[in-house]
Amino acid sequence: MRKIHVIPQKQKRNTLIALLIVAILFTIATIQTEYQPLSFFMNMENFWEFLLVDLFPPQLADPPTIVEGIVQTISMAIAASLLSCVFSLILAFLGSRTTAPFQPLCKIIRFLASLQRNIPSMIWTFILIMAFGIGSVVGALALFITTCGFLIRSFIETIDEVGAESLEALQSVGASRLAIITQVIIPASLPGFLSWLLYSLEVNIRSSTLVGAVGGGGIGLIMMGYIKQFRYHSAMGVILLIAAVVIIVDLLTNYLRKKVLA
Amino acid sequence: METVLSIQNLKKYYGATKAVEDISFTVDAGEVVVIIGPSGAGKSTVLRCINRMIEPTEGSILFEGHDMAKIKKEKDLKAMRRRIGMIFQSFNLVQRLSVFQNVLHGRLGYMNTASAVMGRYAEEDKQKALDILAMMGMESMIYKKAGELSGGQKQRVGIARALMQNPALLLCDEPIASLDPSSSKIIMNQIQDMAKKRGIACIVNLHQVDVALAYADRIIGIHQGRKVFDDVPEKLTKEMIETIYDAPIEELTVGLEEGVALHA
Repeated sequence: MRKIHVIPQKQKRNTLIALLIVAILFTIATIQTEYQPLSFFMNMENFWEFLLVDLFPPQLADPPTIVEGIVQTISMAIAASLLSCVFSLILAFLGSRTTAPFQPLCKIIRFLASLQRNIPSMIWTFILIMAFGIGSVVGALALFITTCGFLIRSFIETIDEVGAESLEALQSVGASRLAIITQVIIPASLPGFLSWLLYSLEVNIRSSTLVGAVGGGGIGLIMMGYIKQFRYHSAMGVILLIAAVVIIVDLLTNYLRKKVLA
Repeated sequence: METVLSIQNLKKYYGATKAVEDISFTVDAGEVVVIIGPSGAGKSTVLRCINRMIEPTEGSILFEGHDMAKIKKEKDLKAMRRRIGMIFQSFNLVQRLSVFQNVLHGRLGYMNTASAVMGRYAEEDKQKALDILAMMGMESMIYKKAGELSGGQKQRVGIARALMQNPALLLCDEPIASLDPSSSKIIMNQIQDMAKKRGIACIVNLHQVDVALAYADRIIGIHQGRKVFDDVPEKLTKEMIETIYDAPIEELTVGLEEGVALHA
């Protein structure tokens, strides 16, 4: 009897080739970086010693400064998110093919957004520090730039998803472009907009710490200071605090997103 | 009866593809014209050429004294579209908005830009929307979100929205294709009612030959973009149905035997 293949031979061969390529890449990369998983585990004692003796117990050395830093970091994230939301909304309506008053603008806005998005916020911070010096203004500005890039793209996609269908209905009614935007597109995409805004807030709380650490101010800068001064107990205290804030914000935004999308 | 719409030599080409090839017909006030034909025959294209949701390649579309095909200015086109209601297969409502808001959308074409943008509807428009919804037996769900309705209810909202336009012509693109038989009947009855009571000219695209036979004042058969039949339902023979659908009648009747056999 002839053998019946459940999966086509060609597909089997392709999977095999793909696996082989991954294996080869892994081998080359490991040799290149001299990364040896075994020796890492052999040296674990050092790691544990550092973790248990140097980092623990965590300390909160200067509560007022730390609280101020955290407030600064959160404010940075909120300011950047909300401001970029306003900018992105306007640009998204100009950049979506369904709402744009003239088409060439779409391409320009999309290009601008991808440029803003594809350069990481850390790099933007470095660039801005050269121009403005260290401080939370630079941090907020760097976050604003990347968030804009990300939100413009998400908002455009949300608008485009509204569906040609309800759009078609309103066009056939004889409604003007502006009326279609306010009466159909905005109500239909509002939950999407809010959900993306909440997500950007979440991301910004996390990255505002990082941006802060490289010179953007806030709790990140304080943490970096402790590490540079070898005050590991205090650094650990701040790290745990940051983790707690991030988790709380995550829970909060998840809750809000469920409410919004319901 | 007064002629509302007169189409002459309508053509729509997509490159070398001839979606609609030289179709002419007229529709009178209060008349229900049903267009039948296989999927891809060009039924939807004909309908959308009438209100210029699709740009016709050639031909004239005379509606209320204006040739729709020759209108250049967007403003003039919008003014004409107000008088043409459209009903869709997938209802095309804004799911997140209430029934009431969706019905009021039918007035947007008549309002000045500022009021339309702000969604400030006149009290008399609101009253009219309430009256139409009450007539359709939907007064208890005006504040319900359109997304929460059943298919049949959604289509009733679609019809209500079209009626808000005060249309002289109603274009119905497969209005019952996504509905169950009993809702289909309600919707078809309502469309027929609109035509007879308000004197609206109705063009209805349909898949179902039996429904066409039951509701049409006149049937137009389209095959590969060409009109092959245009007469009263009684004249639609078995042979003609086979020509329109390009298949023997046995393959066309999935449980529709009674309806077709009645006339064939």
